[in-house]
Amino acid sequence: MDLSPWLTVFQNVTADYYEYARNAAAQGRKVAGYFCSYVPQELLYGAGYLPIRILGRVGATSRADELLQPFSCSFARSVLDTALEREWPFLSLTLFSHTCDTMQNVADLWRAHTGDSKTIIVSIPTRVDTEAAAQYYSDELQRVRSLLEEDSGPIAEDAIQQAFDLYQGHRATMNELYRLHAEHPGLLTGTQLMEINLAGQLMDRAEHLAAVKALIAAFQAVSDLPDEKMPRVFVWGSMCRHTAFIELIEQAGCRVVGDDLCVGSRSYAPAHVEGATPMESVVRYYLARAHCPAFHRDMHHPGTALVEAAQRYKAQGVIFLMTNFCDPTAFDYVPITQALEKADIPSLTLSVEQHQEPPEQLRTRVEAFAEMLQGSAVS
Amino acid sequence: MSGRAVYAGVDVGSATTKALWIDGDARVLGSRVIPSGGNLADAASRCLQYAAEEAGCSLDSAVCIVATGYGRERVAERSRSVTEISCHARGARALYPEARSVIDIGGQDSKAIALDERGRVLRFEMNDKCAAGTGRFLEVMARLLELDLDRFGSRAGHAVAPVSISSTCTVFAESEVISHLAQDRAVDDIVAGLCRSIAARVHSLVSRARLTAPTMMTGGVAKNVGVVNAMEALLGSPLHIPESPQTVGALGAALYALDEGTQQ
Repeated sequence: MDLSPWLTVFQNVTADYYEYARNAAAQGRKVAGYFCSYVPQELLYGAGYLPIRILGRVGATSRADELLQPFSCSFARSVLDTALEREWPFLSLTLFSHTCDTMQNVADLWRAHTGDSKTIIVSIPTRVDTEAAAQYYSDELQRVRSLLEEDSGPIAEDAIQQAFDLYQGHRATMNELYRLHAEHPGLLTGTQLMEINLAGQLMDRAEHLAAVKALIAAFQAVSDLPDEKMPRVFVWGSMCRHTAFIELIEQAGCRVVGDDLCVGSRSYAPAHVEGATPMESVVRYYLARAHCPAFHRDMHHPGTALVEAAQRYKAQGVIFLMTNFCDPTAFDYVPITQALEKADIPSLTLSVEQHQEPPEQLRTRVEAFAEMLQGSAVS
Repeated sequence: MSGRAVYAGVDVGSATTKALWIDGDARVLGSRVIPSGGNLADAASRCLQYAAEEAGCSLDSAVCIVATGYGRERVAERSRSVTEISCHARGARALYPEARSVIDIGGQDSKAIALDERGRVLRFEMNDKCAAGTGRFLEVMARLLELDLDRFGSRAGHAVAPVSISSTCTVFAESEVISHLAQDRAVDDIVAGLCRSIAARVHSLVSRARLTAPTMMTGGVAKNVGVVNAMEALLGSPLHIPESPQTVGALGAALYALDEGTQQ
């Protein structure tokens, strides 16, 4: 069965990165751009904003190269370039989070060189599992709320609770879609799953949730589920919205059954939490959710989560999509690869750049990895 | 020769195209190496044809043809494609069953492949974005030094005090060579420095892929005695060089063709 009628809504949104937000702004809705899934989108939504993830563009950069050092990643270059080229005239507000020094620099440059929208930097504790971190983050979100209220007026507790319930429901639904895909890969491709992910970060969550629920219903109604023989791979990596890399992996013979990518499932990480107040629920969620390499919990070995995920997804191998100069990811890469090796899970590392189409040579590596997973070259 | 089941592998590389024919008992019937040029599909067809003539069979008598190399998808005659990593592993293992690793240095990339006890690929590392550590690097340097590529490596054996080439980039290494020439350093010493440079570059792949001996070296650069010696010095163990290192990938492809053909 063909699920394409249920995918059109997502593909239409990702086809023109700005159109959805531009239309919302034209209809009078305030649009808030944010960079990182750690920015508390529930507060923005509760304050009446359409939160839209700023993911930069695929293609060459120029003006940002004048301002950023050569060791800044292609994502940072790309997003700054879009700001300098005034691609975001409809933003009322931009929110950064302090994930790394480069993004802090981008925030400063954005403020210094644009000035066409208000900016807020959300500071998230690097270690998230201490009492001090909980208090710090709680105070920080109160500060962010106060800054938002300067423009939006008081944000009702009910509005935050409704936004929290919507986002939690959305996370659970995305998790269900991932589970279905991993159980029956091939009905959807990993590339389509990535497009659904990306669309979710550009659309109103309520609208995206309805579309994902419709897709899940259609998925569950399929009786002739495919019986795929392609090697199953789990993808881990840093910031790159370029779906061409996922597409290349699948064209080269591996099926992406799950991911832990900054713009992938990490944006919808589920965590069952409940606070005494709506704000406390939001605080608890962001501290309890699965973390990216920029944040840490209990000095937990970074490889453990990936080994568990690869096993849960029945992945035969892991492919790393490593953005050059992404230091937080590079720090975790070494212990993660060691953990995979200990668990006897093969891995392949691909260097990715947001501004580049994947070089053809990568195809050979992924094809060879697929052949390796299938046990070729028996003498 | 009619009625005999024959199988072919064709390895379309960036510098040369290699074709090799085998019979149903995996005996090599004939092979050929030609420059790839600008038209990869044509090079593959011609190379298969020339090798078929040498093998005493015709192109259309092939039960199955497997293509490999970076131009593998351009081969019209192929039944299927297999990557050069699997093909070099397969070919090396067929020639040298004890091999637990393969180092392939081709025209455009270099590879380090670790094999398990059954000859399956365990791990691999590739240098595919940069000409350093490849045959192209040697070509550029040979041209710069006005040396014949076939005799380039043997000149390293005459070195008295090999120079140090610190850059891993072909363009910057070329500048370094020019500086050494300006300082009137002996060409043999420069050649030895270049061979050490390429070996050091490939050795980093070897370390990352954690290769273990015995190792077979394949690809055109395996014919360069200077690089082989430098590589062996870094590895601390001898390399096994097949009689025709350039056609090992094509042999692996032909063996895959045999598998495919006998399964049909």
